[in-house]
Amino acid sequence: MKKITGKKVTKKPVRKPATATAAPAPAKVRVATMWLSGCSGCHMSFLDLDERLVELVKLVDILYGPIVDTKEIPQVDVGIVEGCVNNNEQEHELKKLRSRCKVLIALGDCAVTGNIPSLRNQFQLRDVLLRAYEQTESTKISCIPNDPVVPVLTAKARPLQEVVKVDLSIPGCPPDADVIWYALTELLAGRMPQWTEKNLRYD
Amino acid sequence: MTAPKKISLHIDGRLCEAAEGQTILEIARANNIPIPTLCYLQGLTSWGGCRLCIVEIEGSPKIVPACTTPAVAGTKIITKSERLHNLRRATLELLFSERNHICPMCQYNKGDCGLQHQGYMHGIDGIRYPYLYPALPVDVSAKYFGMDHNRCILCTRCVRTCDELEGVHTLDVAYRGIRNRVIVDMNQTYGESLTCTQCGACVVNCPTGALFDKAAAFRGPLASCRQVLTTCTECPVGCGLKVFTKENRIVTVWGVPNSPVNRGHLCVKGRYQTWAEPRERILTPLVRKNGALQKATWAEALDTIRKAAKAAKKSEKALLVLPRLTNETAKTVTGLAGKVDRVGMHVATNEAALCAQPQYTADALTKLQDADAIIIIGAQPARDNGVLAARIRTTVRKRGAKLLIFHTRKTNLDQFADVRANIVSLENTLWSRVATTLAGIKRPAVVYGPDAMTPIGVTVMEQLIKILETNRGGQEPLLIGLPAGSNSLALAGAGIEAVEEVGPWLDAKPLKFLHIVASDAPDGGLKIMEETGVSAALPKIDCVVVQAAYQSHLTEAAKVVLPTAIWCEKSGTITNLEGRKLKLTPVLPLHGEAREDAVILENVFA
Repeated sequence: MKKITGKKVTKKPVRKPATATAAPAPAKVRVATMWLSGCSGCHMSFLDLDERLVELVKLVDILYGPIVDTKEIPQVDVGIVEGCVNNNEQEHELKKLRSRCKVLIALGDCAVTGNIPSLRNQFQLRDVLLRAYEQTESTKISCIPNDPVVPVLTAKARPLQEVVKVDLSIPGCPPDADVIWYALTELLAGRMPQWTEKNLRYD
Repeated sequence: MTAPKKISLHIDGRLCEAAEGQTILEIARANNIPIPTLCYLQGLTSWGGCRLCIVEIEGSPKIVPACTTPAVAGTKIITKSERLHNLRRATLELLFSERNHICPMCQYNKGDCGLQHQGYMHGIDGIRYPYLYPALPVDVSAKYFGMDHNRCILCTRCVRTCDELEGVHTLDVAYRGIRNRVIVDMNQTYGESLTCTQCGACVVNCPTGALFDKAAAFRGPLASCRQVLTTCTECPVGCGLKVFTKENRIVTVWGVPNSPVNRGHLCVKGRYQTWAEPRERILTPLVRKNGALQKATWAEALDTIRKAAKAAKKSEKALLVLPRLTNETAKTVTGLAGKVDRVGMHVATNEAALCAQPQYTADALTKLQDADAIIIIGAQPARDNGVLAARIRTTVRKRGAKLLIFHTRKTNLDQFADVRANIVSLENTLWSRVATTLAGIKRPAVVYGPDAMTPIGVTVMEQLIKILETNRGGQEPLLIGLPAGSNSLALAGAGIEAVEEVGPWLDAKPLKFLHIVASDAPDGGLKIMEETGVSAALPKIDCVVVQAAYQSHLTEAAKVVLPTAIWCEKSGTITNLEGRKLKLTPVLPLHGEAREDAVILENVFA
């Protein structure tokens, strides 16, 4: 964490002259994003950065994520995760990302608190599956999926921090684009974002 | 009583003056020093349950809750420190992890939730404790509100509100430790509860979304709503209303905290029945064509009325109003007296006598709290005037006042009564019991309704006065006349004749033109129709014009129906039972083609 942030402190002011004088481009921060059990709203909110995305890609390379066609998680500096851990595949992927990134960011309420997917935690997993695949009023052919290819739901939907170490949480459902921008720019500037009543939102 | 001693102390380095016995929190609030709270609510007893208001006292290793600790002269209080912040944050995180607080799906998010607000204030971006995810029930069996235990933080504000403000103690807590939760009555649902008055005060005072209004659900956060203060016109108490609106719809209704009448409290009529009830509103004028009421324009409707009015002589015209009109409309009505044969106001049985001698006692509702005996004769505040009933209950239960009820019908106030008698059969043994109960009473209060004006009611009154006079040093009884109509006393005072029996009044002289102002009566003026002889008399009249906001059997019997403004669209004043002139402010613009009562009257009799 300290390593990359330290790098950025010196790199950031160079940003403008870099394009003007064609000096050797600074190494960009390598980023992977991941979409677990979430509605994709946090990624949408990320895209809501709008023209700031242009600014951002000057500083970072997004190497992996739902909007990048890469199969394997590469070694990155920052991992951004939306959604909570709901099945064994997600748990595996998250642990892999953790092992390959220096800073892990939990983006949005699902990743931070479990949020809507964790509503099922009040019930036994069996009851949840029965309700979804057999007892739902519109169900015609009832069958709980048991193909070995299909990931298996974990007993509880868990926020990231219950599975791996999380370095920064950005709550919000979804977090505002401004809040994402604030958090990212602070990190790139080598500072930890400070949460106050002005930028914290849980809804 | 001597004034409490003045003390001074330092809070966060500021010298604060206070009276002895004041808590640290009260002094801090008075000096604009913020201390976070969740379970504290002004007006309720402090409980010290949430532990957010903890403060340090210099020189003492202990931390104390500010809301329950009386200040000591000369101490130095610290409200902000890293230690306190960490403790408060840990407390909040425990609250968040204990139940299923899922903000995005709660209707009280975006600024309405106390827990969320404290989370923001303490910079909580994640919970360090494992979530418990308990399976908790949601009770939506009540008509107007629901209770979601998933969002409850057990601050017991609702329990204390129910006990101390409404006085019914429907809510309490049950079970121990982690299973602890708020229950209704004997662990029933709201819908099954016999004691709940559905006043909704618990919903207003809930800091989270655990108690929620059904009709307000997802109509927008209250924090972003427009707030308008107006007055309730459902009964003669005249409570102050704070109406929350968004996009020209009512989101919810609260009491006005600093209203001298209700001090923030409301009953089910004012809080819910006026807006959360589905009712068929009349939006355009209706004119009877080929035997059926059909939509028409104002010009058409007024034309029909004027033709009929021209065909009738002055002696064949009458105007009947309900006691819901504002004082300003009353002036318009009395101004029309020269154009019609008679102007009447339909009042409840025995209410005319009450209107004839209006008894306004200034600040009666405040003084009532100091009474040591409350006598109710011929009135049903528990049904008709919930806020007055709540004040009676709290005075009886919390201040030990005696309660004597003389009425034919049973109400839920009876369980608190020392003497409960049927007003039709009074025996000598009863009077000796009354005399024992009232012995030594110094500050009696008498709440009397229309039924106290019957011969037997007057006898009861006289007997009681005789008994009260034997108490040496006793004050004059505080008299609270409680009419049935919202504004009947003021309307009668303006010179409108109070009519108890509409049937004979209609039949007194043959009529050809009758104009009825039912105004915004929730039943659409059905009460008039229920009077003996009215349904037989109406068809004999050539033209019956009803001005009403809601459909009823009365509007069905009319030739022309005119849409009128409802409580939240009215302006003007009403006079409550204390004689206070209370202002009505339009909360919403007039709906559909409705017009205000006075405007319609001027249109019709132009």
